[in-house]
Order: sequence, then C-alpha cells, then structure tokens
Amino acid sequence: MSERFTIDEWFVVLLARTIRPGETVFHGFGSPCAQVAMHVARRVHARDINLIEGAMYAVNPDPLFIAPTSNDASLARGAAYSMRFEEFFDAAIRGDVDRMFLSGGQIDVYGNTNVTAVGPLERPKVKLGGGGGGCNLAATIKHLTLWTTRHRTGRTLVEKCDFITDMGHRTSEGTRAELGYTGGGPQTMITELGIFDFGADGKARLTHIFPDVTVDQVRAATGFELSVAGNVQRPAPPSVAELAVVRSLDTLGVRRSEFTDRELARSFHRHLDSCAC
Amino acid sequence: MSLQPRRDKVVALPDAVAAVHDGAMVALGGGLSARLPMALVRELIRHRRRDLHVVGSAHGIDVDLLIAAGGIRRCEESYVGFEQDLGLAPAYRRAAEAGEIEIAESCCVTMLSQLRATEMGLPFLPVRGVKGSDLRRLHPEYSEISCPFTGEILVAVPALRPDVALLHAPIGDRYGNLHLDQPYVLDERFAGAAAAVVATVDRIAPSEDVVNAGITIPAHLVSAVAEVPFGAHPASCYPNYAYDREHLMTYLQAAQSGGDDLAKYLQQFVFDVDEAGYRELIGEQQLERLADYGSSTQAWKELFGTSGEPT
Repeated sequence: MSERFTIDEWFVVLLARTIRPGETVFHGFGSPCAQVAMHVARRVHARDINLIEGAMYAVNPDPLFIAPTSNDASLARGAAYSMRFEEFFDAAIRGDVDRMFLSGGQIDVYGNTNVTAVGPLERPKVKLGGGGGGCNLAATIKHLTLWTTRHRTGRTLVEKCDFITDMGHRTSEGTRAELGYTGGGPQTMITELGIFDFGADGKARLTHIFPDVTVDQVRAATGFELSVAGNVQRPAPPSVAELAVVRSLDTLGVRRSEFTDRELARSFHRHLDSCAC
Repeated sequence: MSLQPRRDKVVALPDAVAAVHDGAMVALGGGLSARLPMALVRELIRHRRRDLHVVGSAHGIDVDLLIAAGGIRRCEESYVGFEQDLGLAPAYRRAAEAGEIEIAESCCVTMLSQLRATEMGLPFLPVRGVKGSDLRRLHPEYSEISCPFTGEILVAVPALRPDVALLHAPIGDRYGNLHLDQPYVLDERFAGAAAAVVATVDRIAPSEDVVNAGITIPAHLVSAVAEVPFGAHPASCYPNYAYDREHLMTYLQAAQSGGDDLAKYLQQFVFDVDEAGYRELIGEQQLERLADYGSSTQAWKELFGTSGEPT
C-alpha cells in the first residue's frame, strides 16, 4: 500500500464518487478520467450500476486495461451485451440513463459547455472537436457530472461561453423547465482545483478545494463571479480500494493525458490529508 | 430508394468511388478509431473529388484526411478529432479557422433522427434536445413543431438522404451481404437512408460464411462491394485488426506541421500508391502486429503504447 497519491488518481476517485448505487451511467468519447472513474465506482461503492462503456456501448464490461480510444474492442471485454448506437441514444433520450460525464473547453456558471469553437464561429480562434451526442443527451439524462482538468488556465471557467454546445441549467433561451427538459442538468462539477455543486438558482458554488489550493487561487482562475459555500472543505482522500482500482485498471495511464505536467507533479500524502479532513 | 436486386456486385476499388460525384452528400461509416472506410477515402482523394458534404457522428482521420486533400466543402459530423489521446484534428481545425469549410456540426441524436426519417419515408422527425444549444444557429433548416397531443414544443429536423454511404466491413459476400463487429455506429442507418451504398471488405467470403458470422447489412441495400485487405487502416476492423496508433501519430505530425509535410504524406501514402502499395508502405510486419492483437493482453496493450501528453 502506498501512502502517496497524485492529483490524477484523486481526481478520478472524486468523479467516481458522484455515481450512486443502482444508476445507469455513461461517459462520452475522449473522456479517460470519467472512463476510469466509472470502473472505480462499479468495483468499490456502486457494484450494481449499469456501466455503459463509451462508444462501444458495452454494458458492464471488465476490460483488462483502458485503451486510449473509446471505441476499441478491448473495452468491451467481458460484457455479455453491447448496445447498438440507437439503443443507447434511445434509452438516454427517453430518460433511462441516470448520469453522464461531460466536459468542455469552456464552462459557464450555469454549467453550459462549449466543445465547438472558441472565438467567433465564422472564424474561430480554435475549432474544437465537437459535442458528439451531448446536445440532446444533456436535455434528458437525469444527472450530469461536469469536469475539467484545465481550470487553472483561467480560460476554461468563463463568464460566457463563446458557443453553447450542451445546455446546463439556463441559457438565453430559458431554463430547463421552460424548455421542457426532463433531465436535471449539472449536479456536480469537479476541477483540478476543487469541487462545485449547483444551487436552486442553477449556479455553480465552490464547496471543496484541494489541500494545496486556496480559495483566492480558485477565484483568480474563474471567469465568473465565484460563489463559495459557508464552510469550504477538503475532499476525502482516496481509499486503498479506490486507488487499487485506478492503478490496476489504468495501467496505460490514459487518465494522465488530461493533465499538464505541472498538475501531474502534485502529490499528496494520505496521513496528512486524512488528518486535515 | 429501390432495393438492389441480387446480383454480383464486386467491383475494383477505383470503380467503387465512381458513385461519388463532386458535391455529393457522403456518409462515412464507422467512427473515431473503428472501421473507418479509409481505402475508399484514399481512393476519393486519388480521384480528386471536391466539394463533398460529409455527414455522420464522431469521426477522425477519415474526415481530417479528406479535408487535408481539399475534398470537403461542408462538414456535418458531430465530432472530428483524435479524442483526449491525440487531440484536435489538425486539418479540420485549420480549414475551419480559415473559413475554408462550412461548419455544420451536428449531434449524434439529431443525425440519427434525420436518417431514421428517411428510412421511414417521412419528411422530418422531432427531437427534444437542441433547444438552448447554439448548434441550432448552424442549422437554419431545423424548425419547431408543437406536439398536437401535449403542446410541447419540439425541434423538427428534416430527413437526411446521403447520396452515398461508404462503409467498410471485415467480411462480405459477392452480393453485398456484410457482417460487422460492434460497434456498428451509424452504418445500418446509413445503409437504410443513403441512395447508394458502397462497401469495401477485408475479405470477400462465401455467402455461407457471412450468414454464419451474421449479416448486419443485407445485400439488397448494397450497390457495390470491393475487396481491400486492411481497408480500414489505420482504423481498426475487429475481429481482424486493431487500430494503428503509431500511424495516426505519423499522420498527425504531418498534418500539424501542414504545408510540405502534409503534402508529402498525401503524396507518399495516397497519390503515389494504390492500396497494395499502401499496405507495402505500412509494412507486413506492422500489419501482422495489428492483426495479432489477440495473442495476449500484453500484445494488445503494447499496440497502444504509453499514453503521453496530448499533442
């Protein structure tokens, strides 16, 4: 048992803990942290979930490693069944999927995300890859867990998204209720600096920070006005069991591809951190 | 579309792309790193097809390479890129940022609904999402409809009928019966909705073998089939071979650098060779390695290397 762990390991574990027992959960493509997190949840605290694996749509697979692409056959290993593309999307739009993980190049205070383009759309400064199925899925999947590993850049959590690909709690067109959306929208947002929840007003609020981060640092990196919970806490450190799954499953380290070298250098000590919590 | 009669549909690869004219709406099969119809894409480039309108879900080197060769006018995929591992699609990004292609980004569900409308012979289908998303700004053809039973306002998306679907399968027979391994992605829907379906297969097999493997796409939907071993390379085509991450990195290096480097890649891997020549360039040893993914977990894992920093 190692007492030290790194930010990528802790981050994946925190994503995993947003999954509740009995849920049907899904991650999109290009989401290695969420991909590993779903297996951590299924092997530690939520063994009865329906885990739908990325663009394979494999139901409860037991991959031997996580591949760096999300539709490789290795990811479906051990699954008795893989859904067709249509089966998965039908289940999601009729409301049978409980949770999806969603990220964005830009994210605003309402949890709206931009994965389409930074800058004006006619001549974008950066053309991002695009949203896959997110624009419809975000309307009907019951809960969204948002994440980003690029909060510190100051360019990710923004006052206003240049383009809204997937709707959070509110856009200029209205609220989710006004648009008739059946899903609950973003519930939690996890960044490499801390954790946010979303209040009744649909806005993100900082509830946790990592032990090597200050609220002022979070504020400086956040483009929208930062709302902070009364008692900001530290996230509970990963358990031995959670760390063991991360390390034994993601032996290629695909989760690390989401972090800069600077972030990957952040390491923590179980004993100290558990005291602080 | 009328159903195709039972006849021998085997053609040579150059003839297979004859169905694709300049300006055509083209549906590319597979997705991300799996079963992309790369031999057909390379052949389109060899024939210097222009102004194509590509439609589909999440794609990678197929769309990026076509854009790199100047073949695409309008891109209506839900995603083009190389995921977290290898990052943004260089040619797509450059062309979009320079205003050289029309960005008509779609959503998988919207695309699926539009294809289903065509399959059902309907003019449109409603979707519940899209409202609240700026994707609607990219699609003035979308409209709204009020549900006659509940009054709910839904987004109406028009039927989409690709001129041609280009698919790749591990095996098929001479008549066009195709077996696919999962993920099928949108291939079945493309086959039902497109005016013509052109397929490549790694191997043309006796009908009995395809029936035993399971027919995913039936011959009556397929117009032409060409045999091209490793026709999805550098994408995977399970159960035959894994994707070639190393080659993707070779392409990405050239595409990111652009200019002469990209031109050199196109010359070397597309214009100067036919598909047999392409396989020689990739090398028998590497192709065997990709086909040998199943020999051990270690062998499979090693193909994917260690995940480095995003490029």
